[in-house]
Amino acid sequence: MNIVVLMKQVPDTEAPVEIAESNVAIDTEDTKWAINPYDEFSLEEALLIKEAKGDSKVTLVTVGPDHVAEAIRVAYAMGVDEAIHINDEIDDEVYGAVDPHTTAAIIAAALKDVPFDLIIAGQRAVDDDSYLVPALVANKLNLPIISLVTKQETTDTEINCVQSIDGGTAVVKAALPALITTQKGINEPRYPNFRAIMKAKKKKVDERELEDIGLDPENFGINGAKVKIRSMEFPPERGQGKIIEGSSPAEKAKILVNLLKEEASVI
Amino acid sequence: MLTKIADQRDIDFVLYEQLGIESLLTSKKYQDFNKKMFDMVLKEAKNISVKEFLPACAECDKVGVTFKDNMVTVPDCLRKPHHLLFKGEWGALTEDPEYGGQGLPFTIAQAAMEYITAANQILVSYIWLGHGAGKMIELSGTQKQKDLFVEKLYTGEWGGSMLLTEPEAGSDVGALTTSAKKMDDGTYELTGNKIFITNGEQNLTDNIIHPVLARIEGAPQGTKGISLFIVPKIWVNDDGSLGEHNDVLCTGVEEKMGLHGSPTCSLSLGSRGKCRGLLLGEANKGMEIMFHMMNEVRLEVGTQGFTSGSLAYLCALDHAKQRRQGRSIEKVGDEEAAQVPIIQHPDVRRMLLRMKSYVEGMRSLIYYTAFCMDKKELADNDEERDRQSKLVEILTPVVKAYSTEKGFDVCVEAMQVLGGYGYTREYPVEQILRDCKIASIYEGSNGIQAMDFLGRKLFGNKGKALDCLVKEMKECVAVAKEHKAIKDLATDVEKAVDKLEEICRNTMGVIMSRQMPSAFASAHPLLDVTGDVIVAWMHLWRATLAQTRLDSKDRIFYQGKITTAQFFIKTILPVAMGKLDAVTYEENPAVIMEEGAF
Repeated sequence: MNIVVLMKQVPDTEAPVEIAESNVAIDTEDTKWAINPYDEFSLEEALLIKEAKGDSKVTLVTVGPDHVAEAIRVAYAMGVDEAIHINDEIDDEVYGAVDPHTTAAIIAAALKDVPFDLIIAGQRAVDDDSYLVPALVANKLNLPIISLVTKQETTDTEINCVQSIDGGTAVVKAALPALITTQKGINEPRYPNFRAIMKAKKKKVDERELEDIGLDPENFGINGAKVKIRSMEFPPERGQGKIIEGSSPAEKAKILVNLLKEEASVI
Repeated sequence: MLTKIADQRDIDFVLYEQLGIESLLTSKKYQDFNKKMFDMVLKEAKNISVKEFLPACAECDKVGVTFKDNMVTVPDCLRKPHHLLFKGEWGALTEDPEYGGQGLPFTIAQAAMEYITAANQILVSYIWLGHGAGKMIELSGTQKQKDLFVEKLYTGEWGGSMLLTEPEAGSDVGALTTSAKKMDDGTYELTGNKIFITNGEQNLTDNIIHPVLARIEGAPQGTKGISLFIVPKIWVNDDGSLGEHNDVLCTGVEEKMGLHGSPTCSLSLGSRGKCRGLLLGEANKGMEIMFHMMNEVRLEVGTQGFTSGSLAYLCALDHAKQRRQGRSIEKVGDEEAAQVPIIQHPDVRRMLLRMKSYVEGMRSLIYYTAFCMDKKELADNDEERDRQSKLVEILTPVVKAYSTEKGFDVCVEAMQVLGGYGYTREYPVEQILRDCKIASIYEGSNGIQAMDFLGRKLFGNKGKALDCLVKEMKECVAVAKEHKAIKDLATDVEKAVDKLEEICRNTMGVIMSRQMPSAFASAHPLLDVTGDVIVAWMHLWRATLAQTRLDSKDRIFYQGKITTAQFFIKTILPVAMGKLDAVTYEENPAVIMEEGAF
């Protein structure tokens, strides 16, 4: 079975981020990067399927600038067989994939020559939280998509999934080829072992530019984006807490209810 | 919840800017590595430590070990981290890949271990003891012994221990009474009792390999008659399969102040049947073999003390930024003024900077020592090898004693910053403090370190190791003096180095006089103040580099290095100068006072 995993490198959720001077992006100069946590579930699920079935191949596809190579090395250390990196840097700090539509178009173009039975992607990327790329890729490739998968069983011709839905789960199946998105709980991503880290540096990355996959950079980047970010700002800092004084819990509760009504206007 | 377990930016600064460890990559030994790989190793060490090892730490403390029917059960929460550590092959980072090691430079392994140790010292204790036992077998064992034991110990598949202490033989190892009798098949039968054995019995690994110090029947008394034996908990057959249980009986575990997930056992050898062992190395050479292992373990225990301090400082810093209490001192009396985070109060800032200066100084000291170990291994001539070897020798007791004491002091100060919260179990500092204390006691108490420093590393070396150290420090001073802005700091450090050298030489002279006991009574203060001067040197080194990088985007970070150096050199080093005066007081009252007067 040929399995493709879509991976995005995102700012490390533990590292602080700064907004760039342009006010429409984050300042990436000192950013620490990591694999999107939901994509780690996808990688793990692909590797589990491969290990269970044998005679399978896991190919990673990712879009981003030079530093994405770091994330690819980690994926190699986890166990992927091949990696395709679409380096989308058009000009200094001008990138092809700036919104979900351009990203999906690049991925779909990259997959034109890649055989696959199943594509696995994270349900969303934790940086821009658009939730859109997997669905757009499925749409462009005319594939069935099952999102928020917490369990799957795959045969050579179909995939049966348990997916999260509001208030419960649903059991869904689709014919292969198909695309699924992974939800937390589907598995526990492995940690690369030391020897695999050492081996990962020797593996080759298939790095391509937009022209290599038949795309005209003129139609990508800001020109191709359907959504433009106008400004970014941090959420307001949490204000100072207020300790409610009172002679008894009942009195404190009464004051609290009053404050929630009068001051906070939330009840 | 605690998530930052080490200061990654400072680790990078020490590795790549201060020590320039990329220079190691030009050697044949490390030609297959590159900086990206080093970074990836550290990133993954941090990742697994934060996500898997850290969450088990508080639970290990809370649950502790249980002892029943001569068996020890470790906290369940330790199983997954231990399994991941074993599967991830993080057990023996610097060792030969042939035996399950990873062949990393000591300096990079040190950085990886900072993350792992900070996350869970209990877990690390299992790894270190297995590694120590494996190292002794790799260095002194027969090929068969190496094949049977080393890889399983290095990878962490089997646990290790060190059976040294007996009820009447602690620091005085030569007094031990455990005996060994040679059997017809070449193995030995051991009889005796050992106490304070870290991880001497546990159910985490399939087997435990105990290196045991014992005296072969008829061997000389004292340390010259001590041999070292490999005593497996479960006998290992020639084909590597596990055989019958050996008679190593756990008779109890200690109730301790900290490290509750790591059992401290009393073990009885041969009390109910046969306790079989294999002689490791030559008969009566047990102490030599053990000392090689002890030197590495002392650096590891120094790391334990340092990481405790580092972690406690990060907790205190986080708390000081979050906790709002009191008004700015400039707005005293203004009832309308808002409460400010306590990091804005001068006394809290003093405590934080004091902690930071010790922590960063210790990090540089420990990484530098590891770097000397790397340079010693890579040296292409005897002179350089000897120089690096002497530096490691003289720095080892400093790393062990200074880092474990100052690490503990930092924990105490961190608790002070957290105030009443720090004293509760809701916050991690009290556990860090409890777990840290043992580091100044075990693996050669700090009093023993001080005697080793004065007796072996200064006097025994005829001052040559001191020469190497002083030369390194003076070279740094000379470079720093070229920078006008920090010339003043360089002059202060230079005076301290000169005075330290003078006092060390004087004290070495005293050893040969009738005042010798006084010299040893001053050995610990001398070791302590040597640590102060070395840390001042490290800060000067750091400030010199930072001075050239103030125009970078990271200006606040580099300015912070200079300010930290100023704090240490201007407020802590002067105290060290006074401590040096105290060491010169020849007839130490502690020695001359009559026992009845205590």
